[in-house]
Amino acid sequence: MRIVCVVKFVPDVDNFTYNYETHTIEREHSPMLINPDDARALGFALTMKKREPQTCIEVVTMAPRSVIPQLEDILRLGFDSATLISDQLFAGSDTYVTSKLLSSVIRKIPYDCILSGTHAIDGDTSHVPSQIAQSLDLDHLNFIHHIEEERFTCSSAVVEVEGESSYTTFEIALPALLSLTRESAYRLPYVRYKNLNLDVSERLHILTNEQLGFDPAEVGLSGSRTQVVSTHTKEHMTRRKKVVKSDDEGIEVIYTFLKSNGFI
Amino acid sequence: MVKEELIKQLSTILTEEQVNTDKDALYDAAADRYKKYAKARKVLNVPTPIAIVYPKDTEEVRKLLMFCNANRVNVIPRGGKTATEGGLENWKDTTIVIDALHLDEIIKIDTYNSQATVQAGVALQTLEDELQRVGYTTGHSPQSKPVAKYGGLVATRSIGQLSTLYGGIEDMVVGLECVFPDGHVSRIKNVPRRAGGPDIRHIAIGNEGTLCYITEVTVKIFRHYPENNRFLGYLVKDVASGIKVLREVMVNGFRPSVARTYSEEDAAQHFYHFHENKCVLLFMAEGPKGIVDATVTAIEDAVKKYHEGIIKQVDSTLIETWFNQLNWSQQDIDDEFLGMIDHDSHSGFTTEISADWETIPKIYHNVIKRIRKEFPRVQDLTMLGGHSSHSYLNGTNMYFVYNYKILCEPEDELIIYHHPLQRIIVEETLKMGGSMCHHHGIGKYRSEWTKDEHGSAYYMLEKLKEAFDPNGIMNYGTIFPQEEGLKYIE
Ligand SMILES: Cc1cc2nc3c(=O)[nH]c(=O)nc-3n(C[C@H](O)[C@H](O)[C@H](O)COP(=O)(O)OP(=O)(O)OC[C@H]3O[C@@H](n4cnc5c(N)ncnc54)[C@H](O)[C@@H]3O)c2cc1C
Repeated sequence: MRIVCVVKFVPDVDNFTYNYETHTIEREHSPMLINPDDARALGFALTMKKREPQTCIEVVTMAPRSVIPQLEDILRLGFDSATLISDQLFAGSDTYVTSKLLSSVIRKIPYDCILSGTHAIDGDTSHVPSQIAQSLDLDHLNFIHHIEEERFTCSSAVVEVEGESSYTTFEIALPALLSLTRESAYRLPYVRYKNLNLDVSERLHILTNEQLGFDPAEVGLSGSRTQVVSTHTKEHMTRRKKVVKSDDEGIEVIYTFLKSNGFI
Repeated sequence: MVKEELIKQLSTILTEEQVNTDKDALYDAAADRYKKYAKARKVLNVPTPIAIVYPKDTEEVRKLLMFCNANRVNVIPRGGKTATEGGLENWKDTTIVIDALHLDEIIKIDTYNSQATVQAGVALQTLEDELQRVGYTTGHSPQSKPVAKYGGLVATRSIGQLSTLYGGIEDMVVGLECVFPDGHVSRIKNVPRRAGGPDIRHIAIGNEGTLCYITEVTVKIFRHYPENNRFLGYLVKDVASGIKVLREVMVNGFRPSVARTYSEEDAAQHFYHFHENKCVLLFMAEGPKGIVDATVTAIEDAVKKYHEGIIKQVDSTLIETWFNQLNWSQQDIDDEFLGMIDHDSHSGFTTEISADWETIPKIYHNVIKRIRKEFPRVQDLTMLGGHSSHSYLNGTNMYFVYNYKILCEPEDELIIYHHPLQRIIVEETLKMGGSMCHHHGIGKYRSEWTKDEHGSAYYMLEKLKEAFDPNGIMNYGTIFPQEEGLKYIE
């Protein structure tokens, strides 16, 4: 079986360096990580490869070259190959252009199934998977929190999708695009110690516009059909700090706090 | 002999109830707290023992050891299971654990001669509670006091938090009984002192189960004056300033029971209520009132002499309440383990070293500097610091403490985090002439450096092993380096 995983790298929101004077996030100091929903998709693909070692998984992403170390680590986990679409020309691409670029690459790869995450923790539009499915003419399911491993074959899959108040089980014909949520249980393992320095360069392919051959007007900011009018980060509330002693009065303060906030 | 046959034979030496082959119990017996995370996650890479046995007296221990010696079965002696350095970890396919569970009798409390005799499986807390009832104390107070047992405490050369006054376990043991692999039982008699050749108590004390099985111990006991206890605490500029005051008190001939200096980071995790991000220096004085008063005056004089390093004094009740909650109960140990099973991916380790007064601040400085510069996962450290907690006339210890987020598979945790950190600490210590193992014993993982630790005196240690355990059945891999065991380290 051949699986393609579409992955996005996002800034690590938990480890943002936040400048409280200018109220901006210092992005250049913020490390990138695999979008959590996408990590579940990778985790599931790896689970399938463990069950069926002949399964072939190719990872495709569009990102700056700074994510190469993370991509190398993905390969060290046992993924077969990774393709990084990266070119200065593509900077500022909206979801439409991003989907177009990703689809153009995936189209050339043989696959039985495409896996992705449902949401990204930075933009959170959830456009890209649907747009890829549209341009490749595939069926698409979002919010998948479970895939039945035994019934995951080249021709169909049985998946459980999380709705607002219920779970629905679908059987879907493959090829299709399946998007997982971070609530699913498929964990992406860490690279094992013995593989930390494994040379994976042969399995990492970098594609620029030279290979893809798009007209510069079709990609990046100029090719984008949506424009960001303005962007701002949420106000961070500074919490009040109160230090109490480990005496009766201190215990009373903590007890009242926990009680009034519904913890006990 | 095959495993099933060995187990059958064990049941004839003891009774069937004294031989435990329960799968979970054997998994638990395969490793100690050294591999706590891998153990909790069920990914231990060491073999499980074939049985745990519970002898009821010295004669049964004797028969078991002779049987194992004849059949080349590895033996791991076991007490309270609080070992931290791999002393209870199993590196052999055919191993039995001899647990002191039923060797649990307090044989005699002799207040007139200030000594008490216990079997190896008596928990320290049990004896302490009995002694306090009659106005005495063991004077021994490791943080594991509620759980650790006398056999283990003696076998590891343990030390308690009140050591600056009462000494380590080696200062307390008067005499003992132990059994060697060939079945010989040695009883070392209880006398105040003698010059009868080398002090053979030290063959058993600290042997970590590699030479003999300790079955009985006689220790000194002390008059207890808890009503006189006094506590003093200060915020100090840096580790070196605190150590200067510790030294001054010690070399002037005073013996507070607790004398400690904490680095800023370590102080922050212990004294959240007053640390102000500074180092902490603290003391406890105990004993007869006159001695306590004189000790407190001596501490205050030392603090005055080195006032430039002192930031301010803290309320002594804060030190007292902190000290009274320091010990770990079995519940605390179990809770930590349970926490690691599914959600906790954070761990902490300690490495305890010692050196003379002059050298200890240098080692501390070099270690911290090297870790910050060289350790590849430095960003995952959530705490790096240490404290000096056991002082002597000529020097002190340093207890390096480090906590980290575990961002790797449980199988790799030690090799990615603890080992490289411990390596830096051990290398820097040995380089400066200190000891790499102040009180937890060598265990299995530091055996790589046993020869460096002892230098030319390793000859004496090696000869002891050859003489007392020629077949190498006692706690394989502990203290004495074994190449075959490297696969469990690397
Ligand atoms: C929370 C915590 C706090 C601690 N604090 C301190 C401290 O303050 N000071 C300190 O010194 N240590 C401390 N330790 C380490 C540990 O408690 C000591 O090493 C203790 O002496 C071990 O005793 P035990 O009965 O638990 O022995 P075990 O863990 O059962 O065994 C320890 C070692 O001794 C050997 N052994 C056990 N019984 C015998 C016997 N009868 N004959 C021969 N060999 C035997 C074992 O084979 C093993 O190598 C701490 C550990 C924990 C978990």
